[in-house]
Amino acid sequence: MNRFSLPNLGIGLGLRTVHYAHILEHAPAVDWFEILSENYMQTKGRPLHFLDRVAERYPIAMHGVSLSIGGTDPLDRAYLAELKALRDRTKALWVSDHLCWTGVAGKNTHDLLPLPYTEESLRNIVSRVKQVQDILGAPLALENPSTYIEYAGNTMKEWDFLAALASEADCALLLDVNNVYVSAYNHGWDAKDYFAAIPFDRVVQLHVSGHTNHGTHIIDTHIGPVIDPVWELLGEAYRATGASILLEWDAEIPSFEETHADALRAKEFITPKEPT
Amino acid sequence: MKPPLLRDVQVWTVGAITGAEADADEEAVARFVTPGPRLTAAERFDIYRSGYHARLVECLLDDYPVLAAMLDRQHEGQFSALCRAYVDRHPSASPNLNGFGRHMASFCREAKLEGFPGFLALGHFASDLAALEWALVEVLHAETAPPLDIAALQALPPEAWAGARFIRSDALRLFRFEYPVNAVFIANRIEEIVPDFPAPSRNAVAVYRKDMQLWRMDLTPAMVGVLEPLVAGKSLGEALETVEAECADPDVLAQTGANLMVWFREWVDAGFFTRIVLS
Repeated sequence: MNRFSLPNLGIGLGLRTVHYAHILEHAPAVDWFEILSENYMQTKGRPLHFLDRVAERYPIAMHGVSLSIGGTDPLDRAYLAELKALRDRTKALWVSDHLCWTGVAGKNTHDLLPLPYTEESLRNIVSRVKQVQDILGAPLALENPSTYIEYAGNTMKEWDFLAALASEADCALLLDVNNVYVSAYNHGWDAKDYFAAIPFDRVVQLHVSGHTNHGTHIIDTHIGPVIDPVWELLGEAYRATGASILLEWDAEIPSFEETHADALRAKEFITPKEPT
Repeated sequence: MKPPLLRDVQVWTVGAITGAEADADEEAVARFVTPGPRLTAAERFDIYRSGYHARLVECLLDDYPVLAAMLDRQHEGQFSALCRAYVDRHPSASPNLNGFGRHMASFCREAKLEGFPGFLALGHFASDLAALEWALVEVLHAETAPPLDIAALQALPPEAWAGARFIRSDALRLFRFEYPVNAVFIANRIEEIVPDFPAPSRNAVAVYRKDMQLWRMDLTPAMVGVLEPLVAGKSLGEALETVEAECADPDVLAQTGANLMVWFREWVDAGFFTRIVLS
């Protein structure tokens, strides 16, 4: 159990529009759904109608991409107010976003840009996380990102930065094991070093997904079935945290049944290994 | 050595991702970014540069699938060129992409696309089609309010009709187009063909949502003549006076008189109105 007493919801799926009809018609036995927060913000229409139907039946967690928690523009108060209203509407058990920033000086790239891992950057993000948690009235869970560059001015490793942030801001973590795999490949890290630094008692959720390997680098596309080395990382992370598991599949999305079947493969990897 | 200030790193990064290629040359990138095990610093950084435009073009493709099919029918890559120009002209300042494509109809009338000189002749057609497709996006996200009950219409005493104001649904948009873009939309999305570019032909269309489904309704000149002033907030009596004052076609006036009740039933059934206010 994590230090925030947030429950293990089981094995969930990212809620995607192509699956709305199947979910509402068949009410499949899925443990929980994660919604992309921004898909249900800046709207008063059909997306909320479907979300309300899903939230009546399933536990929900919210996952955002636009908080820009590591940014240097002022926090967007209107965005935060809408985020809180959505949490109240869905009764989401927690709210997560990414260890990243998305733009500066009013220009939004809509990408999860890596942070410089420096003391100044740490002070900035700790202060902002505290403000956000104050506004939301709940712990914010931050996810380790997939990254493709590292800044020359970095003075600490990503895992040390993340651990220091979690401790100083007293926030939760969403550990994406695919992102660990992707970034380790792209930067020549060892996933063991990453896991060794993570304060597992702060991890409230685990993400797992497919990716696209270009040989020279891996892009976190959330396409395709999860590969076994990533499942192995998930198993290790689960045994250390007992946290809720979620499969993300965001492009070339197959049928609901196929997507759910891939998510349920997690069971093969999270059970304790029998001694041989 | 002291690391550069966070703000300076972020300003450089966004400028190099969204700006001209020269802003992200190898020397500049190498000052801020380290090389990786298999890629140079510039190659690594280019993942973010190419992703920026690709992501926003994909967002516009979601909003404008028929416009994309029509423009690429004329010249492969024309829609992407339009979108890249759009992204440069209207970069996103919002945390949410739902409204990102809102300027496309006006942008089509002004855009000059490098490498696609033929686009200029298509600008007005593209603008009409973009307006229709954007209306579908707006209507999808419009507030859901209970529609006017047909019983309320039937209960309206004859003497109250002239002063009645029919409050429009947020999920209704009316258009007068130069080009028959609804027919193009139907051909593409329903019949799954990419038709020829049509000749100009004035027409009117309502875009609306009913039972969470998105719909389009072709409107005759007589219909749109009544609907436009109604949705602008005029009473039915005022709307009919506007039609009489502005319409020189006796056939349109005759149609209006003969069909008004039938139209109202159709419009109420489609959820165009949410309530009646009597003055």
